[in-house]
Amino acid sequence: MSRPPILSVRNLRTSFFAQRGEVQAVRGVSFDVAPGEILGIVGESGSGKSITCMSILRLLKSTGRIVDGQAIFDGQDLMELDENAMADLRGNDIGMIFQDPMTSLNPTLSVGEQVVETIIRHRRISRAEARKRAIELFELVRIPSAAQRLKSFPHEFSGGMRQRVMIAMALSCDPKLLIADEPTTALDVTIQRQILLLLKQLQNRLGMAVILITHDLGVIAEVTDRIVVMYGGMVMEQGSVTELFAHPRHPYTQGLLRSVPDLRDGEHTRLTPIAGTPPDMIQPPPGCPFAPRCVHAMKQCDIAIPPLYPMAEASDQTARCWLHHAQAPRVAGVNAPTAEVA
Amino acid sequence: MAGYVLQRLGQMLLTLLAIATLTFFLMHAIPGGPFVSERMLAPEIATALNDKFGLNDPIWLQYLNYLRGILTFDLGPSFRYPGVTVNEMIADGLPVTLRTGVLAVICVVALGVPMGIVAALNRNKWPDTAVMMLATIGVAIPSYVIATILLYVFALRLGWVPTFGLDDWRGYILPVFALSGFWISFVARLARSSLLETFEQDYMTTARAKGLRPGQVLFKHGLRNSLIPVVTVLGPVVANLITGSFVIEQIFALPGIGRHFVLSITNRDYTAIMGITIFYAALLMVMILIVDLLYVWLDPRIKLRKTAQ
Repeated sequence: MSRPPILSVRNLRTSFFAQRGEVQAVRGVSFDVAPGEILGIVGESGSGKSITCMSILRLLKSTGRIVDGQAIFDGQDLMELDENAMADLRGNDIGMIFQDPMTSLNPTLSVGEQVVETIIRHRRISRAEARKRAIELFELVRIPSAAQRLKSFPHEFSGGMRQRVMIAMALSCDPKLLIADEPTTALDVTIQRQILLLLKQLQNRLGMAVILITHDLGVIAEVTDRIVVMYGGMVMEQGSVTELFAHPRHPYTQGLLRSVPDLRDGEHTRLTPIAGTPPDMIQPPPGCPFAPRCVHAMKQCDIAIPPLYPMAEASDQTARCWLHHAQAPRVAGVNAPTAEVA
Repeated sequence: MAGYVLQRLGQMLLTLLAIATLTFFLMHAIPGGPFVSERMLAPEIATALNDKFGLNDPIWLQYLNYLRGILTFDLGPSFRYPGVTVNEMIADGLPVTLRTGVLAVICVVALGVPMGIVAALNRNKWPDTAVMMLATIGVAIPSYVIATILLYVFALRLGWVPTFGLDDWRGYILPVFALSGFWISFVARLARSSLLETFEQDYMTTARAKGLRPGQVLFKHGLRNSLIPVVTVLGPVVANLITGSFVIEQIFALPGIGRHFVLSITNRDYTAIMGITIFYAALLMVMILIVDLLYVWLDPRIKLRKTAQ
């Protein structure tokens, strides 16, 4: 990455303090988002991907606390800002879209009002001007007869249309960064595609950076530039989408890719699930969180958490796996063939 | 909307008719009558009285005569208090009851809802504990016990307020508080739990993610949604409070309507029982209609429309 990142998350740790103990949801996550790029964060439920993003905007529910780490956005550490400055930034410099458009809009306010109030909050303009801007935004996200629909209430919209309203709302103040937390998960498959393509087009047109959280690798492959793979509250592997799909260097990423159906394989191919369940985050394993489910696990994997190893053949790719240690045995598929030759 | 209200008013008339009919026949099914007492009346006098008030007519004729009276808003003469009509009894007691009742309703809304908000915003901190403790006491202790304690402390010991009567504004303080204490507590608890539930909703996170200030998030997005259950109970509460309380009226010696109602039953004062029952029922139904109309304003998902004819 030649350009300085717009967002730089460093060693982020977030925990929830429950009755049973401290749930370590995010355990030292670091990644960068370059201006104008789409970064995908993948992982299964409970991997900490959503909590990471809620931590960046500091929108955690009452029991959640950011224990450590930084999130440098536009030169300032979001973790150091006071609550007022943070509120000025939310919805203005960083927009956010949530998973379930059915519950994310206030049922008792018109959709127009919900967009207008966002604009008025951050811009010094009149209500009439804000309404004009809201109509433009509705047209931008292709809500038909935008001007009339402003007065409608959320329950009068379909799920896809509601998500368009959410997107219009998130984009209302021209954010530099858009965080989309599983924006298509709650939608029909056909609508999923429309929303995804819309996001991609808007990103191209407006030039903002996007963090797209998803557990859908198909979504990732289609629209993102780079991928961060999370598991057990940690980054397991990251790299450009082409490198990562062609040469996954972490057994977990490989497992994820094998569990996705490939229509070219013909109809009689069985999918390979990843056996086992994610770790208990109150008492996470001392070593690699994926070790209990990993087919290549070694003694070392249960003892210590591996560092992120840079891949020799792909400058931008790193993988958190002991197999990339110089003294580890070479495993075909995980280790690059060049390393074996050398 | 106008069509809906008209339809509801029509339904109310039918309901009132059913209530009047049921009360009428139930009342006549109770043994005894207005002129039966331990001190035996001379049979001639009893017959003359029964004749005068039409109690010797066949029951269906009495029923029809009574219905005709209601339709002309004439609730008939009291059987027990000579020369007094039921209309006059209601008109006599209602102003006092209405005044204390409306003040009590204002207290319920103006104290109960803010108490709930304060508790919810300070969940598990001392203001929450304090409010919930007060509210638990208010719900658990019956109003007449609270009234007696209030009387003892503030009227008798401290002498800040009169022990009875409504001669000036200080006279209202204790009755209104005794009347509304339970409902203030009830509404405070309801508002608290409803708000806490609303805080967990996704759209509250959305509101914060848009950068709205905490006040906007609470009042514009939170309060309106969490007030719906409060409004639901407020309808019956208003009807309950503005129709007065026999017990409270007795304790504070208030000349209200609640007293008439209870006495009319023991007196078998047929017309008074009927009249006050119908008046209560009508009031309750109007309140419920108002609550239903308030819903539409609070929650646009609710649409009121006439049922298919």
